[in-house]
Order: sequence, then structure tokens, then C-alpha cells
Amino acid sequence: MKIQRNTILNIVKSVLKDLGEDLGKDNLLDTNELTPLFGSKSNLDSMNLVNVITEIEEKLYEEHNIQITLANSSALSTSRSPFRRVGPCVDYIIELIEESHKNN
Amino acid sequence: MNKLVFITGARKGIGRKIAEYFLSKGWIVAGCSRKSTNLSHSNYHHFILDISDESSVTNVIKSIKKNLMPISVLINNAGIASMNHILLTPLKSYDSIFKTNVQGTFLLMRECAKQMNLSGGGRIINFTSIASPLNLEGEAVYASSKAAVESLTKTAANEFGPMNITVNAIGPNPIETDLIKLVPKDKIDKLINNQAIKRLGTCEDVLNIIEFLIKPESEFITGQILYLGGVN
Repeated sequence: MKIQRNTILNIVKSVLKDLGEDLGKDNLLDTNELTPLFGSKSNLDSMNLVNVITEIEEKLYEEHNIQITLANSSALSTSRSPFRRVGPCVDYIIELIEESHKNN
Repeated sequence: MNKLVFITGARKGIGRKIAEYFLSKGWIVAGCSRKSTNLSHSNYHHFILDISDESSVTNVIKSIKKNLMPISVLINNAGIASMNHILLTPLKSYDSIFKTNVQGTFLLMRECAKQMNLSGGGRIINFTSIASPLNLEGEAVYASSKAAVESLTKTAANEFGPMNITVNAIGPNPIETDLIKLVPKDKIDKLINNQAIKRLGTCEDVLNIIEFLIKPESEFITGQILYLGGVN
């Protein structure tokens, strides 16, 4: 069954919300597609971002049995990173899921 | 509460001894190898796995957490060797040695560290060899693959330190296993002569270091390469 974009968006938002609660950062509690994940405008440092990526992978597997690896050679590049904002991150995850369907 | 250790190359040799050791201490043990095993124990779970295959590694590591429990200790023991002069070494040997020894170690570290990070920490023990510091002739590819493992170990220790994950490597001297059974005796004797303490290693020597590195009190020891027999 094809996973909806909104489902992925909610996973990313819930991971950020959990992290916001852990770190006491209120602006991560209610995020949207434009929320920066990486770069000078983001509330996350590089370790936070690593944790976010790991948690997203985990939730996709645990809740939807989707096994993808979000590792990306430009993950920490401010201009090209798919993790620069929530929206591109969701698009990137969908792209990887579609690729993994093609390969299976 | 039980803890789980994942051991690569657990079918025979040192890996098998390590698996049996952890089972005797009451741990849940997950092991892997390219072939099936005859090791049978209620707490042992075996996976047939090519550790250089990214999707297979990811799948096995995630399924262990889902079906058993999160991995507390990873022992990257699997390794292959091939002795040859550089001029006589086919690229195929280079590829297969680097895929198993370096790529396999990297993938297992990456996937297990994700889990350990989410569960509050863990211990990773990689396997290098004295072939690396001794720059042994005839083992250029094997020794350089182990040098890469040492570098991965030290960098991973830095990256995983904030996650409460320690990463260290054991460098055994020659031990009576399948890995050295085809090495000529004079070569082994020459190797032993490079050691401060001149004898073959034993599995117990390796187990002693593992026992030390997984102790709760060893939480401050990371990024270290520990060679057996007094090799520097």
C-alpha cells in the first residue's frame, strides 16, 4: 500500500516534537514544511540532526515496516541537503521509498 | 535484565568462542556468518548474512531490535585474509577483503550505533590485526584493510562518544584458527618473534580483552587499539 505524504510529514513532525520536549525547545513542538532542520536558522545542532534522522528511520520501520537508509552524502550541506527543511526532507523520504519499491 | 550481543563471523574460530562465552554468561547472542551454524542454544539466534550487503545488514539489525531486543554490544569479528605479494594480488582479492573487513565493519557499526544511540549507549569492539602495525610483507591488502578498520574505530569513537557508545579494536597476534592455517610455519615464527611475549595467542587472550571492554567501569575507554603479545 502506498504511504501518504501526510503520514511521512506527521512522522517527521512527531520526531521533532519529541526532540523539542527533550531539549526544551518550544519551536520544535509545532513544526511545518518550512521549519529549518539544518543551517544557521535551525534549532538543531549536527548531533540533534543525526538523532532526528535515526528516529525517522526507526519510526518508518517500526510503524510502517519501511526499511530505508536516510544516509546522504550531502546531508550536512546547507544548500543541497535534503534535510535543510521539513518539506524537502519529506520529499526525500518519499523518493527513497519509491526507489526501494522499484528495486524490490 | 538480559542483554544482547551481536557477533559477526560467529560460526567458527574466535567468533564461535566469543558466542559460547557470552552464552555461558547468560547473554542473548545473535550471530551471523555466510553459512548456517551447528551452534544450538535457547539464547542463540543465527543469521546467514553477507556483512558487506547494505540492505541485508540493515534488515537483520532492525529485525533483531524488533523481534528480540536492542543490541548492547557489537563485536565485529568477521574478517578474511589472503596472503600474496602485491605484484601477484588480483583486484578481486582486494575487493573481497575490503568489502568484508572494511565495508562490513562500517555497515555494522553504522546500523548498530543507530540502535545504541536510541537505547542510551553501547559498546562496539572491532577486530584489527598485528599485520597492520608490522606492515607485513605478503599481507599488503589484509594489513591495509585492518589499518582502515583502526581508522574507522578511532573516528567512530569520536563521533559516537556523545551517544555513550565506546568503540575500540582488538589486534590479535596469530591464533590457531582457520585464518592462519594456510600461513607457512616460518612466517608464523617470524611474526611471533616480533612480539614482546613470544607465543601464539589464544581465544582466552581475546576474551579477556572483550570482558574488560564491556565492563561498566570501562565506559571511559574508547578509540583504543589493543594489540596482543606486546606489538606496537
